[in-house]
Amino acid sequence: MSGRVMVVDDEPEMQRALRVGLGYHDFQVRTAASGEEALRQVPGWRPDVVLLDLGLPGLDGFEVLRRLRQRDDRAAVIVVSVMPDERDKVRALDLGADDYVVKPFGMDELVARIRAVLRRQAAVAHGEPVVRCGQLLVDLGRRRVTVAGREVHLTPTEYELLRLLALNAGRPLTHRFLLARIWGEHALGDTYNTRYIVAQIRRKLGDDPTHPRFILTEPGVGYRLQA
Amino acid sequence: MWRQVRPYLEATAGVAAITAGLAALASRLPVANLSLLYLPWVVWLGARRGWGPAAAASALAFIAYDLAVVPPVGSFAVGDLGQVPALIALLVAGLATGQLGAAARAARAEAEARERESHDLYEVATAALRVPEVATALDLVRRRVEALPTVGSAAFCAAEGDHLQTVAGQDLSPDLRRQARWAWRRQTPLGLALDGERLRLLRQAGATEQVGILPLAAGVAVVRFQPPELSESDLRLLAALLGLGGLLLDRRRAALEAERARALAASDRLKAAVLSSFSHELKSPIASLRAGLTGLLAPGARLGPGQRDLVRTLDLEAAHLDRLVGDVLALARLEAGESVRAEPVAVPELVGAVLHRLAPELGEARIEVHVPPDLPPAMADELQLDRLLGNLLRNAIQWCTPGGTVTVGGRARADRLVVWVENDGPPISAEDQEHIFDTFWTRRQGGTGLGLAIARRIAEAHGGELRAYNLRRGPRFTVSLPLATPVAP
Repeated sequence: MSGRVMVVDDEPEMQRALRVGLGYHDFQVRTAASGEEALRQVPGWRPDVVLLDLGLPGLDGFEVLRRLRQRDDRAAVIVVSVMPDERDKVRALDLGADDYVVKPFGMDELVARIRAVLRRQAAVAHGEPVVRCGQLLVDLGRRRVTVAGREVHLTPTEYELLRLLALNAGRPLTHRFLLARIWGEHALGDTYNTRYIVAQIRRKLGDDPTHPRFILTEPGVGYRLQA
Repeated sequence: MWRQVRPYLEATAGVAAITAGLAALASRLPVANLSLLYLPWVVWLGARRGWGPAAAASALAFIAYDLAVVPPVGSFAVGDLGQVPALIALLVAGLATGQLGAAARAARAEAEARERESHDLYEVATAALRVPEVATALDLVRRRVEALPTVGSAAFCAAEGDHLQTVAGQDLSPDLRRQARWAWRRQTPLGLALDGERLRLLRQAGATEQVGILPLAAGVAVVRFQPPELSESDLRLLAALLGLGGLLLDRRRAALEAERARALAASDRLKAAVLSSFSHELKSPIASLRAGLTGLLAPGARLGPGQRDLVRTLDLEAAHLDRLVGDVLALARLEAGESVRAEPVAVPELVGAVLHRLAPELGEARIEVHVPPDLPPAMADELQLDRLLGNLLRNAIQWCTPGGTVTVGGRARADRLVVWVENDGPPISAEDQEHIFDTFWTRRQGGTGLGLAIARRIAEAHGGELRAYNLRRGPRFTVSLPLATPVAP
């Protein structure tokens, strides 16, 4: 699987490392040293994935992300940053980032994340009604959930949470996102609700929280469905 | 003397004048109960001169009326017995109206005193509250206290911990300072008593000067006074002024606390900013290094096996450097007093997340988990607990025998949640036991010597503890944390 990747990073060494490294994996790579430059280049080149550093000079990564999302651009955004604070991750995801990778990272990890995002894009483009995650099958058309062929009965709230995770398989979803989608904006602030529902879903799916097969916990952030 | 005698002379003169008039009137116009004409005079005396002159006038009127008006004139004898009740009525009515007048006078004097008091207090309070500097405002109150009769000097002292600092008035003598500290520590007044709003000065017999110490919300008031006793109204004013001083001391304390909190927050922001910038400066080159090196491992780079091996070793070195920098920064943040954002944390799912992240580092080691899924939540900062468990597990993975087992367990005990991590590696020697939690102390090739030190600091920041034991099958690290009270949805 290949695609167009735009690297937005102000460090020339990082730009070069990614251009060369991703090139070996058959990606087409372009680089931008600032947010302004990235916003100029994206509409013309139409990358599939933007690797966005948060600590940019001038327009910072959050602002670039906000403007990209305002334009309704189809490019997936993976935030790549030295982040000492988990709140930055949550903020980037809530602004519409598809995933994040913490610097320093190995190229294998980065490539795996890029491929996961590209797969997800392809699945969304084809409107696939069934999401598969190992033995877990979520049939979004028929609202049916099975584990190894055995049907699992979920309450409407549990199904809605699992549906959101399935629609975004592989993408971390923040507590804030899940709370707002399921209970509305007024429910924001208490992560205990999502934790409780996820515990119920895991129990019904036979997913051991200490050895999760389907739903992964992202400490300080939220949950993601194993892709 | 003259001031005391004058009202009685007035009373006598008035009664004499009225009697003369009545005598002249009675000889021409025989009217019963002319004695009533004394009463307005008695009432006036009662209201203006007090009960004494009014009572004297009443008694004089009784005698003079009998002598000069009631026939036979010039004698105490009463010709007509019918006049006797009138005479007694005159006496009683005189005394009673005198009393009424005197009471009205006392009430008016009291009202005037209260009005003066309120006015004084209002003036001082508005002036004091208008002044922005608390010390100046307190000084205004102090000067008003010192203007009260019999008060010698006054001082307001602010309490800072156990120390008293004079904010208004003269510094206290060492002796007085000791007494003031005593009063402040026990919150007990000295030399005066306060029942509700009422202040009383306690006098020692024979003392020429005395001291009253009143503990306030954020300090003490010290007042020196000399006999005689203050009037009721002055005592009330004194109590109110000391109360006002208490409010001002409290305002001073609040302002100081706010100032300290601002300074602390600024210093925390500065520390966080410095660490964040450090983190960026140190990690960015490592990030380029690792991205570049691992990029060369792709088949597309066409490196030979020897070259790939070298690149992989270099990347391991870079990764080690990354961990070292990460640990040093984590330790710096903990030492800088990073705040613990505690919330209920489900430990089983956190263990799952940490194990999932560590999977690439597992090698041949096997993991056994004995953490019940329904373990009650711990009260912890999820990210710090994540780091703590990660460090314990990484340590166990690195110490366990090749192909050996690392065990994680957890259970709730009373109000604590206990989590342990053990491996089947060699026991920790008695000598090492003393050092394993020290910073930069390690027995492992390539260890940072920070993992366990950080883990222990995180446990302690949560009000918990981390200990190491040797079991028969290998070393065990046990961390205990406070349990959260779960909130059912």
